[in-house]
Amino acid sequence: METKEILKLESTALQIRRNILRLIKAGEAGHIGGALSSVEILTSLYFNILRTDPKNPGWKERDRFVLSAGHKCLVLYATLAEKGFFEKSILDTYGALDSKMPGHPNMHKLPGVETNTGALGHGLSIASGMALGFKIDKSSAKVFALMGDGELAEGSNWEAASAASMHKLDNLVVFVDRNRLQISGPTVEVMSYEPLDERWRAFGWGVRIIDGHNIETIIETVNQAPFEKGKPSVIIADTVKSKGISFAEARVDFHYWKSKPEEIELAERDFDNIEEQLKIKIKEAGI
Amino acid sequence: MINDMKDPRKTFGEAVVEAAEENGNVIVLSADSSSGSGLSDFSKKFPERHFEFGIMEQGIMGIASGLATTGKIPVFAAIAPFVTARPYEMFRNDLGYMNQNVKVVGRCVGLTYDQLGSTHHSIDDVAIIRTIPGVTILNPGDPVTIKKAVHAMIEHTGPCYLKIGSPKMPVIYPDNVEFKIGKGIVLTEGTDVVLIGTGTVLPKAVAAAKLLEEAGVSVRLIDMHTVKPIDRELVLSAAREIGRIVTVEEHYVAGGLGSIVAELCSEEYPAKMKMIGIGDFYASNGPYEELLDKYGLQPEKIKETVIRFLNQ
Repeated sequence: METKEILKLESTALQIRRNILRLIKAGEAGHIGGALSSVEILTSLYFNILRTDPKNPGWKERDRFVLSAGHKCLVLYATLAEKGFFEKSILDTYGALDSKMPGHPNMHKLPGVETNTGALGHGLSIASGMALGFKIDKSSAKVFALMGDGELAEGSNWEAASAASMHKLDNLVVFVDRNRLQISGPTVEVMSYEPLDERWRAFGWGVRIIDGHNIETIIETVNQAPFEKGKPSVIIADTVKSKGISFAEARVDFHYWKSKPEEIELAERDFDNIEEQLKIKIKEAGI
Repeated sequence: MINDMKDPRKTFGEAVVEAAEENGNVIVLSADSSSGSGLSDFSKKFPERHFEFGIMEQGIMGIASGLATTGKIPVFAAIAPFVTARPYEMFRNDLGYMNQNVKVVGRCVGLTYDQLGSTHHSIDDVAIIRTIPGVTILNPGDPVTIKKAVHAMIEHTGPCYLKIGSPKMPVIYPDNVEFKIGKGIVLTEGTDVVLIGTGTVLPKAVAAAKLLEEAGVSVRLIDMHTVKPIDRELVLSAAREIGRIVTVEEHYVAGGLGSIVAELCSEEYPAKMKMIGIGDFYASNGPYEELLDKYGLQPEKIKETVIRFLNQ
């Protein structure tokens, strides 16, 4: 990929992080950790990979994105707003009565949201059904899903994993946001999923393990899917929970953040620093 | 022909084939359950529209939801508790909350899996599924209305739950009977008591009504084939005009047809009621007809309960 394009996407990712903070400011709380760990994944999807049209969210031929880990909704809202699915001012309603942005997404309330998730272990089945529907129609549309790593303990995921493989859904690409933390502590200590890559392979999937914060890697990996002919693909994305906010990074107590005004200020300063570094990179690249 | 005995699952399967011939979006999902659901002919006739998933009812609910987003009309039939109680959250979130056009069919409902015991009985399905907003619940009580219910649910846009029994059932209706979702059918007019039956025990209610007529009791007999949305006007006119209502269902008294009728009447037009169904316990096992008798659902027992109710 061209450096210019990568830097542009990194700038978008920063703006999405700022949108997430805007949501937190409005609602004074939210599931920040898993939202920030998957910013680069959603940036890559919505600003490079997915065929979508913000002006026509119901476009029949669009690619689909299923947020299985519905509590990461802040990153979805922040991304859809940045992409232009709706006015950014809606971000300021997070937490308000009848807001179009519940604490877990509702497709009937907000354009661009494809599924009502929140209860864990549902998204992979729904995404598999979409992919099967596209296969039946011989459509070239693809289906992408994002799962949390804590979510993998839900048994229903593995029902869907079997089904997607059995029905050869090679138009399905799933990200596991492996930030390695869940409410009670390190995920492998709460309920181990290791060896994760071998587990997916045993279920008949093509597997890649990548740095989930490297936009270029994410895009290049997705472009290689399906990784194996006739198989669904899973990308295990190694990430850092709460990525971008220094005092919250890799800390389990920031799975859900009840923010204090002074913490918001610190987070804004962190984002300002990221912006400064980006400017330097842009200058060095001579753009 | 009236009173002919027909297999409800076979009848259901025939109707799905008919619906699929008319509508190319109809597909069938199987949890190792199609052959037992009367859908073998469908799988032979439309192999490219029949999808096997094995025993994974939770997964299939979500898959059905995803398929519906692409315009398909998935029909998912399996043993009733395994498509209601087991994947309840998937039914609620993936079908109900997402308002997906998926048709879930619980077969071998009520006590029809007689010998197999409480894990396989489905006497709570109405109670749990009716709490999901927007889900239509159909419970036809004869082969003619089973067919009509299948066509109606395919034509209806939105999530549906259809209940089908297992033992052969008598034909109650002529082929031209009018079937509309949400509109109960008055089988006989009467003035002393209203008997409202639904589903597998509708024939028992029909027979009980005859016994009551012979005993000099005038019965308004209603077939409530749509449990949700309930036919409010039919229930309330019964409450207003007769004021004595007995419900008959092969289901827990808690949360089923009787509860629905009672909730409506208690708010709109209180009527004296008796709810015939199964109490707060796990039903026993044994021959089907004997189980129905044990729980007061055979015509003679229904008649006795109604007479006691009228004499109170």
